[in-house]
Amino acid sequence: MAEMDCAVVLFYSTQGAIKAERALMRAGFAVKLIPTPRQFSSDCGTALRCAWADVDAICAALKAGAVEYDSVHRMTVRQ
Amino acid sequence: MKIVDAREQACPQPVILTRKALSEASELLVIVDNEAAQTNVSRMAEKAGCRVEVEHKEGSIYLHIVKAVSPLQEEAKSTKTTVVLAASDTLGRGNAELGDVLIRAFFHTLKEVQLLPTTIIFINSGVRLVTKGSKVLDDLRALCDKGVEILACGTCLNYFGLTDKVEVGQVSNMYSIAETLLQADNVIST
Repeated sequence: MAEMDCAVVLFYSTQGAIKAERALMRAGFAVKLIPTPRQFSSDCGTALRCAWADVDAICAALKAGAVEYDSVHRMTVRQ
Repeated sequence: MKIVDAREQACPQPVILTRKALSEASELLVIVDNEAAQTNVSRMAEKAGCRVEVEHKEGSIYLHIVKAVSPLQEEAKSTKTTVVLAASDTLGRGNAELGDVLIRAFFHTLKEVQLLPTTIIFINSGVRLVTKGSKVLDDLRALCDKGVEILACGTCLNYFGLTDKVEVGQVSNMYSIAETLLQADNVIST
């Protein structure tokens, strides 16, 4: 089973996550829209997952596109 | 041994003919002329506890079907089955954009939980989820690898012009779909 070093980006709203996904896909980033993992929030929420290696570029792209995000967490995913 | 010549028969006729013949004989030779018919007839027969052997001969496909209920199949029968019916490419009604987010979250989560469904059936716009460009393909492939059966409605694929764009699972017909739903212990409809 391969392990993947991932970043999970949380947002203030579902609309925020959708907007961020669109902006990042347009910019050519590989992101996956996922339900917010339980360990990060008890709310029913939507987050974006990407490779940890891309996290700086992704945060910069979100800031440049004026897409607000809440926080970034690191997570290992087994695939 | 009974012989069923189901060549040049439109789907789901080969399945219907085979089923009828199985109620009358315990050993059949079913002749079909395409792979979809082969898959659908084999699946129905195997589900009914039969052993199926395939032989390609003179441009046709010969299916030797023998009724045989092994202890393993008896055991499989006693296991609870759960079927997910994905009737749309979004989850829930009200807002399509939100429904798109929810269906992706649903299939992402489905592959992570311990209790897996036995089968997922995709009908109507739900078939878009198993075709090229779908955002849940990786999740569905992972479910497939874990042994979840994935069936996509052939009529629906044809209607949307997506028949040659299927990336995961098997193309199925209403006969198999209705049967799978009726035989299930639980059906979850999205």
